[in-house]
Amino acid sequence: MLILLTALVAVSVVSLLIGAGEVGPQRVLGLLLSASDSEAQFIVWELRTPRTLIGIVVGIALGVAGALLQAISRNPLAEPGLLGVSAGAAFAVALALVLGASAATLRISVAQLGALVGCICVLSVARFRGVGNDPVRLVLAGAAFSGLLGSLTSLMLLYDQRAADEIRFWVVGSLAGRRLDDLVAVLPSLLVAAIAVVIMARPLAALALGERAASGLGHHPTLIRWVAVGCVALLVGAATAIAGPIAFVGLVVPFVARAFAGPDIRRTLWFCLPIGPLVVLTADIISRVVVAPSELPLGVLTALCGAPVLIAVVRAKRLPML
Amino acid sequence: MKIMANHSSLTGVATRRSHAVTNHAVPNHAAEHADSVLAPEGYWHIALPRWGYSFLLEKRALAVNMGLLVALLAACLLYLSLGSVPLAPSAVIPAVLGKGDMMTAFMVQELRLPRLIAACFTGAAFALSGILMQTLARNRLATPGIIGIDNGATAFAVASIVGMGVSIAPPAMALAGATTAAVLTFGLAAGSGTQGYRFIVAGIGVGAMFGAVTQLMLARVAIDTANAAYPWTVGSLNARPGGAVQLLGIGLALGIIAALALARSLTLLRFNDATASGLGVRVKARRLQILMLSVVLTAFAVAVAGPVGMVALIGPEIARSLSSARQVPILAATLAGALVMVLADLAGRTLLAPIEIPVGIVTAVVGGPWLLWILMRPQRSRP
Repeated sequence: MLILLTALVAVSVVSLLIGAGEVGPQRVLGLLLSASDSEAQFIVWELRTPRTLIGIVVGIALGVAGALLQAISRNPLAEPGLLGVSAGAAFAVALALVLGASAATLRISVAQLGALVGCICVLSVARFRGVGNDPVRLVLAGAAFSGLLGSLTSLMLLYDQRAADEIRFWVVGSLAGRRLDDLVAVLPSLLVAAIAVVIMARPLAALALGERAASGLGHHPTLIRWVAVGCVALLVGAATAIAGPIAFVGLVVPFVARAFAGPDIRRTLWFCLPIGPLVVLTADIISRVVVAPSELPLGVLTALCGAPVLIAVVRAKRLPML
Repeated sequence: MKIMANHSSLTGVATRRSHAVTNHAVPNHAAEHADSVLAPEGYWHIALPRWGYSFLLEKRALAVNMGLLVALLAACLLYLSLGSVPLAPSAVIPAVLGKGDMMTAFMVQELRLPRLIAACFTGAAFALSGILMQTLARNRLATPGIIGIDNGATAFAVASIVGMGVSIAPPAMALAGATTAAVLTFGLAAGSGTQGYRFIVAGIGVGAMFGAVTQLMLARVAIDTANAAYPWTVGSLNARPGGAVQLLGIGLALGIIAALALARSLTLLRFNDATASGLGVRVKARRLQILMLSVVLTAFAVAVAGPVGMVALIGPEIARSLSSARQVPILAATLAGALVMVLADLAGRTLLAPIEIPVGIVTAVVGGPWLLWILMRPQRSRP
């Protein structure tokens, strides 16, 4: 855990040091050692600091949401991006923009609502005969669902040029050009989700023993599931509202966290806290460097790194049962 | 005897001795001719004794194919008539032949007909490669689009357009991309076999990677080039590179012939490998041939229209629901694919006019719910 936290601090510092433009590591170091360099000051404090903070928050939100979703669907492949939860949020935002909304605060609640609907849709598909028993089939249903929502989103953007201009930079999933205001706006809902997760940790661990055992221990499986779905919606909606749909983070982070923490959901959730930001910030730094001077959308990079993990999980002889 | 003469003319088989066509319903006729064989129920036995050749023709398959062909022709007529300038169907048919009003002839021949041909070819190619791949994987969801082959072809084709230092024509690049994706998917799934859903999710992963590569390349180039390549990423018939359609046409013709030659093996490959090889199919060789055929067809179609998803799912699905379960409905799937594509592009052109919806979005909006429905239905017959 200590190693992970140290790594997180290191990556955050690197995130401040490296980036597009003329302001390289030396100038940033000079600034931090109290030289007066107005340009570097602007870049570091106004652009890179918010970006790093947003990366940390998005990483935590997506990682925890992935772990929650995997716990309640008992499916190691459940991932907000793959299952269409992020696509639901993006679709809701596009719909709101086409219908004439433009306020940034509205965007967050709309995205969370869309994530909730997407989450409920795909999990109710999982309740259908046969689909829920096969983890891999649920992913397929999610892929179909998010593909459908993605097409509907592009259809609306095609129809409404203004919304398209407003949304184009956002719909690919990136941390570039996000302001601290966005972060402040999502903090309350993240706080609510955090409290709910803390309260739910024990019941969730009980749920891992099976539905009957959980009710025997005095918990209400249905209630736990609903609260967890609500949390996932809050977290994914908030992350999507800031950074756009970013796939595979919710798959990779709990996967790595379980490797450290073992099967206990409480420990897994703790380990998600440093690992999520670590993954997102590393991907973000790479996205700034790899095609410099221009940048790569973060969502592209997480897909490139996350897809092999997906394949590795699927290829395992026995899927790890949750 | 009269009925049978009609049958032989219907099938287009020029038999001088019409009594060679026998029907199980009239066994006394068959008995009169010692060289005739009794056809099983639901089939016609067509014999060409002059060449020493005979085959069974399924009645239902013939009816289904004829029905789909008529529907396709009607859809084509509609496609040529509707648009920003509506034309009367009665004026369209002479215009196709180059007669009649100059303006109409120009509109039909220069603007709508090439696009219609591209729609027919790509739809047919997608659906044919879809039914081949589905039969190969024994899973109706295993279409080339879903297991990432479309995305591989697209990534390479976009690379040839945005010019990453390579200047090879899109079809060649698409072929290279499709092959790479197919090798990756089948290679990665090698441990778990090509059946079942794990194989498909591995394919989804491969597809996601190639999709990301496409985005990566689009992010690197100037905005104008990116806009030029955009239709490619969703699938559109608006940006057809010259030469690709002709190549697709040749490939499709050869592909249909090859698929028909493989038809018997395909039918038997629906059973497990042991049964198929017991019935005389060289399973390994046939699988490789079918896979290669499917990959090549997908690549050429993507080179024309980009990754139009779901046609490879919907076309075979329609064909299977119409046909009997005796055979793999290769021709019916091909025709149904062309029909779906023509109707989808027609809807994309006309529904929100003057805005044109790329055909890939139309098929995704229609096909997505369809795919979910297939997934949610309890497992029934296999393809």
